[in-house]
Amino acid sequence: MSYAPFALGFAALGVAIGLGLIGASAMSGMSRQPEAIGKLSTQMLIGMAFVELVFLLTVFVGLSAVK
Amino acid sequence: MEPITRLMPLLAEAKVEGGGGHAETFVGTMFYVALVVLIMFGLLAVARKGFRPGVFQGRLANYSEQLYLFVNNLCVSIIGPHGAKYVPMIVTFWLIIFISNMVALAFPVAPTAILSFNLGLALISIGYVQWEGIKSNGFFGHFKHFAGPKMGGPLVLISVMLFCIELVSEIMKAVSLSLRLYGNIHGGHEAVTSLNKLWNVIPVGELLIPVKLLTVVVQALIFCLLTCVYISLVTHHEDEHEAAPAH
Repeated sequence: MSYAPFALGFAALGVAIGLGLIGASAMSGMSRQPEAIGKLSTQMLIGMAFVELVFLLTVFVGLSAVK
Repeated sequence: MEPITRLMPLLAEAKVEGGGGHAETFVGTMFYVALVVLIMFGLLAVARKGFRPGVFQGRLANYSEQLYLFVNNLCVSIIGPHGAKYVPMIVTFWLIIFISNMVALAFPVAPTAILSFNLGLALISIGYVQWEGIKSNGFFGHFKHFAGPKMGGPLVLISVMLFCIELVSEIMKAVSLSLRLYGNIHGGHEAVTSLNKLWNVIPVGELLIPVKLLTVVVQALIFCLLTCVYISLVTHHEDEHEAAPAH
């Protein structure tokens, strides 16, 4: 039995919390300052890309550990 | 799953060879690259007919104008007033990645679902960033940025260390760009395949297509956006910083 799915689950848990924090604070910032939506959404996407990368790296490390 | 794969010979072939094995050869990869390039140039050739002086006619011409304006806005808002000259490169990246992500929705393999193609794209992007940095700051000026602020005496050691770390981070930029794109597109395929195994009657995984459609747009946007950010990091001029209002 392989434990790789559990590892993926834990990685997804942390990354989901991070993405949620980024999205939530970006949303509240946007609602407070609607004129800054353009800048905020750009920064939000950059932050999300870097957080997402952590999960992808976990997937690759996990895959290479399984094989 | 079975009836649908019988209808689509490419899908069936992919299933026989274990999930897109036919793209692991050079010819197989190049087939999909050629498909993307054909679609891209076909769309642009049709759109080009609508470009008349004065007013643009035709739906595709209008769409391509919208795309140009969008990317132009992206470049100018991130890089600054001199960002408009990087638009052609960014539009090219956008078109290739977006179309090949759309191909990934319909075919078992797409160029962006192959790691080496993504690595090539990312290397082109990072190489372009270095080239633009050298062009705007000069060869030594560009590499002086890597060493951080000027320090005297024994602190030069820190500058040397910073230079090495920055060199590694430039390489890691290319790796992270390619892995992000590959992971998202290929990961979407993997998720669909494993969801399809749940129930043999209906391909449940195809319900993921709306999510994948979102990924298509977001990944193309992220690649272009990060390239813009990297360009803005290497081509910033000191006088523009002082002229900009404090924020």
